[in-house]
Amino acid sequence: MEQAYANNPAPPAAPVTPPQDAEKSPSGWKILWREIVRDKLALASLIFLGAVILSVYGVSLVLDQEQIVTVDLFALNKPPSAKFWLGTDYGGRDVFGQLIIGTRNSLSIGILVTLLTGLIGILIGLVSGYFGGLIDNVFMRFVDFFMILPTLMVVIAFVTAVPNYGIVSFSLIMTAFLWMGIARLIRSKALQERELEYVQASRTVGSSHLKIMFAQVLPNLSSIIIVTMTLNLAANIGLESGLSFLGFGFPESTPSLGTLVSYATNPQTLEFRWWIWLPASILILILMLCINNVGQALKRATDARQRKG
Amino acid sequence: MPLLEVQDLKVHFPVRGGIFNRKLRSIKAVDGIRLAIEQGRTYGLVGESGSGKTTTGRAIIGLHPITSGTVLFEGQPIFGDGLRGHAGFRKDIQMIFQDPYSSLNPKKRVLDIVAEPLRNFEKLSAREEKRRVEQLLEQVGLSPETIHKYPHQFSGGQRQRIGIARAIALKPKLIIADEPVSALDVSVQAQVLNFLQEIQERLQLTYLFISHDLGIIRHMCDHIGIMYKGRYVEQGTTADIFENPQHIYTKRLITAIPDMDPSKRERLRQFRLAVKTEYEQAYDRYFDADGLAYPLRPVSATHLAALPEERG
Repeated sequence: MEQAYANNPAPPAAPVTPPQDAEKSPSGWKILWREIVRDKLALASLIFLGAVILSVYGVSLVLDQEQIVTVDLFALNKPPSAKFWLGTDYGGRDVFGQLIIGTRNSLSIGILVTLLTGLIGILIGLVSGYFGGLIDNVFMRFVDFFMILPTLMVVIAFVTAVPNYGIVSFSLIMTAFLWMGIARLIRSKALQERELEYVQASRTVGSSHLKIMFAQVLPNLSSIIIVTMTLNLAANIGLESGLSFLGFGFPESTPSLGTLVSYATNPQTLEFRWWIWLPASILILILMLCINNVGQALKRATDARQRKG
Repeated sequence: MPLLEVQDLKVHFPVRGGIFNRKLRSIKAVDGIRLAIEQGRTYGLVGESGSGKTTTGRAIIGLHPITSGTVLFEGQPIFGDGLRGHAGFRKDIQMIFQDPYSSLNPKKRVLDIVAEPLRNFEKLSAREEKRRVEQLLEQVGLSPETIHKYPHQFSGGQRQRIGIARAIALKPKLIIADEPVSALDVSVQAQVLNFLQEIQERLQLTYLFISHDLGIIRHMCDHIGIMYKGRYVEQGTTADIFENPQHIYTKRLITAIPDMDPSKRERLRQFRLAVKTEYEQAYDRYFDADGLAYPLRPVSATHLAALPEERG
């Protein structure tokens, strides 16, 4: 059932619209794509991300998770070899397989949490900022309430309380406490936008509030949305890895990047068995850097004055 | 019957503050305005910034809630509860905005901007819609090929023309022009103003023209209302106001119009100085204790001024 979450992991290479409708001015996607192509670092990052995502989701289809997480007493702590590309851990489990499945799990959670928090945050922020006044006040007090909760503690409590959690339930728990930041951000931008005359112009030509909110104001927030979502993706992957590292994420039977890194808490592993924790650590680092590079390029693309291309 | 009749319009904004966000007092942005515009005419609303002229225009189109008073359009009352009460009039009253830079959505192409009112009121196929937009652009003197461009690819004057194309898309009867040229270069101002007069004739439009520039008002308008602190100071035909100003505030505004002829400079300076002294001396006589204008009194059949009651 876990393949189900592999739905659309952020289009790595957005399909460029064919040149047949050349009379149209460049669409938003085209501008984003052009900016990334101009920025070699971002392009390399995007290609690398795409390759990682494709290979991770592809290879994990072939791998048998049951077999990988099964303890093998005859192959404890083996260094890398032809049979075990990245060696084995203290349970004799293949580290390479764990790395692939772990990356897939971490990415799935990161993407899912980012999309869900984005959706909730945009809806609440947009409504609250666009209407302002009483509606804004009510929504923001609600946000304040969630903000003062000690997120990490509550997530840990939830994870401990819910006995059988998978990627979806874990994502939902994280989402419940991570949507406020983006809601606040969108709200502040929407408050700014609604004062501009084009919003009033839309009202005088008879557009409904709903139409103005989603068709007029939302496109003007797209830059900030894309950038925050991209950067949030990195943060959410980091948060999941952090929780797993602390032991409040997934159990060892469900590998993630965090569980692999947490093996390094054992001094012996840290000192002598680098193959267990180093690949996962490096992968986290590179993934974060790549996502951030792409995020920065997108940020420039959405502001015509900063564009390179 | 006048096309638009405004009776005793008041727009007050509450000032909130203190504990529990109580209403402390209200700002009387518009405080009892009465005006009537005949079909096909241009009515000018003049005043310094903060005098309530823009608020008046926005209240008439429904962007600000009306505190009290009535607005009659073709004899039908428009209710003062914001845009909803305007549903029936939406097509007939349109607005040209002051700032051509913020009044066009930067993320939308010209096609989408100009077609927005059409999409709301007329069910057109994509093809018809495009044709209509091209026609409208042609009417405002823009090339129909610009249809797929974004607003930032145009100059200020061109952008204002796009705003005008949007305003005339629904074939309105009344257009409220809120300082339509104050954000433009002087050379472009004349162009846009003449163009506004041209489409007025062609489309039988009625304008409520809001401006702080008396020169422009004189050029454009048949009737003029002069506002000060939310009230009328003087109202009349263009000739009444410019040939025979009654109120000291009007006189001072008119003397502030610059003159091109350098030979008159010294004389005008003297005149301005005289009016200024008169203004300072007579201020108490022309304004009440709060610095507000008195109620209007008739000077002639078309001319009203807020003159003080004659004391003996």
